Formats: sequence, structure tokens, C-alpha cells
Amino acid sequence: MSRRIAVVGAPSFTTGFRLAGVDEFREIRDENKDDELDGAVEDVLSLDDIGIVVMHQDDLDHLSHEVRENAETSVEPVVVTLGGEGEGALREKIKRAIGIDLMEQ
Amino acid sequence: MAIEDEVKPTRKDLMEIKERIELSEQGHETLEKKRDGLIMEFMEILEESQDVRENLSDDYERAQKRIDKARALDGDVAVRGAASARAETPRITLESKNIMGVVVPQIEGSKVQKDVGERGYSLLETSARIDEAAEAYEELLDTIILAAEIETAMKKMLEEIEKTKRRVNALEFKLIPELKDAQEFIELRLEEMEREEIFRLKKIKEKKEQEEKEERAREDMFDESATEA
Repeated sequence: MSRRIAVVGAPSFTTGFRLAGVDEFREIRDENKDDELDGAVEDVLSLDDIGIVVMHQDDLDHLSHEVRENAETSVEPVVVTLGGEGEGALREKIKRAIGIDLMEQ
Repeated sequence: MAIEDEVKPTRKDLMEIKERIELSEQGHETLEKKRDGLIMEFMEILEESQDVRENLSDDYERAQKRIDKARALDGDVAVRGAASARAETPRITLESKNIMGVVVPQIEGSKVQKDVGERGYSLLETSARIDEAAEAYEELLDTIILAAEIETAMKKMLEEIEKTKRRVNALEFKLIPELKDAQEFIELRLEEMEREEIFRLKKIKEKKEQEEKEERAREDMFDESATEA
């Protein structure tokens, strides 16, 4: 099945992806992130034809606990984060599943 | 619930429990092998993912620099204008492959990288800097698609590892010890019943001997009185 890519974030974050042709985007200004980001992320995660959601790692901090967990564990679509550390949730998951911190540098 | 309430101290139950222990131990061994195999596969994907993560942050940094440059020199309006005019949407197709019973996706991107003419915006009204930014973001999307494939595989593998680990632990620390306790309980109870049985038989034998003895004494007494008469 052919799917699209979605981008969620500040207009300055999404513009570049729109330039590369991404047509599913949710632009949330920095000052509104605490109020509107949850809804935008839930919205794109619920779309059937979206395969990948691109977000900035720092934006995850604006999400409520529940939505953040959804975003971090979702497989279809999968959320790929850019910037920041980017491995926090996965690192925790590895520690829990395998018992050791494999990402330790 | 106590084991004593669940099992009956019979030989049939003992045999059943022994069979269940054997089966559980075999299952435990197989699951342990599966868990170790999954961890090995996961380690390979993890190494790959660390390379992809590095590429991802390099590509993102480069794309950001290019778009910042375009914004600074051509203005935000021009960049956003070009962004609104894009025609072709990059698409991805999901296929799946199986790693030790875990279905992980294989993601293919199509129409991600395009020629300048295919980008939808007017070449006359935009600068080469915008082209460069678009190209950098197209490359970034390609890396994102690769990262998505690997991260999904990692998430699914981790879930399976956790699930297998929980099963191994449940067998090792709950089911097998409980079954062994039940086996011990039945064996002790059966031994006790056997001892009781022996004791009872002994008692019956003693009673019978006593009766025989009394019978003989009575007969002797009868014989003696008959001879006297």
C-alpha cells in the first residue's frame, strides 16, 4: 500500500519538507504548541494513509504524557524525530527489554 | 490458592504433573533460545540504526543550513511560496519481512528525489538556493525513510524480546516452581499414605494374631476340661 509522509511542527520546521513535496503537514506556532500540538499529532497518527510522521525531538516535550507515549510507540505510522537527543524513549525501551544500556557510548 | 487445594494426591496426578514439568522445561529452553536469537538480531539492527541516526542528524543540519541561507537571501515569503507550489508528493510503500517470527516493515520511497523541472515551482521566480534547499530536504526524506524502517523494526523486535522475556520469567519463576512444589506435595502425601497403609496392615496382622492366640488358648482350655472329664 502506498502511503504519504506527514510533518508536524513549527512553520520554520515544516517549510523545508513542503519544499521537498510533503503535502500533509500541521503547522503549529511555538506559542501554541502546548495547546494545539496534542491534537495535531493525534490527528496525523489516526490518518490511514500516513506511513511516517516527522517531528522535531524537542516538540515531544510539548505533548501530554498519553500522546507522547502513543507517538513513541506507534508503528503504523512510525514517528521519526529530528534534532535533539532523539534516542531517549528507545534507549529506555532497550534498557527495559534487554536489561543493559546498549546505547552507552 | 494453595497447591494442596488444587491437586489430588494420586499417582495419576503425579504423572500428569511430571509431564507438565517436562513440557514447561522444554518450552523454557526453546523460549530462552528465541530470546537470545532475537537479541543477537537486534544488536545487528542497533548498529545499523546508529549509523542511520548519524546520517539523519548530518542531513538535517545540512538541510537546515541551506533553507536558512535561502530564507536569509531570498526572503521567507519566496521560500514559503515555492513550498506551496510543490506538485509531486513523495510516497512510500510498505512491505514486510520476517525476522525470527517478527514481522518488520521494508519501506521503499518513491518520487522523493526529483529533477529541478519536476519540482512544481517556477524556475524563473526562484533562486538556485531554494533548489539546493529542496534537494537537501529530498535527501533528508530518503534518510528519514531508512530511519523509519529501522526504528519500526527495532520497536517491534523490542516488543517481541520483552514478551519472550516475560514468558521465560513466568515459566522459570512461577509455573515450573509451582509444578515442582505440587510434585513434591504429592510425593510426600503418597509416601505418608503408604506409611499409614503399612501401619494399618501391621495393626490388622497384630489383631489377627491376637485373635488366633486367644482362639488357641480357648481350644486348649476346652481340650484340658474334656480330658479331665
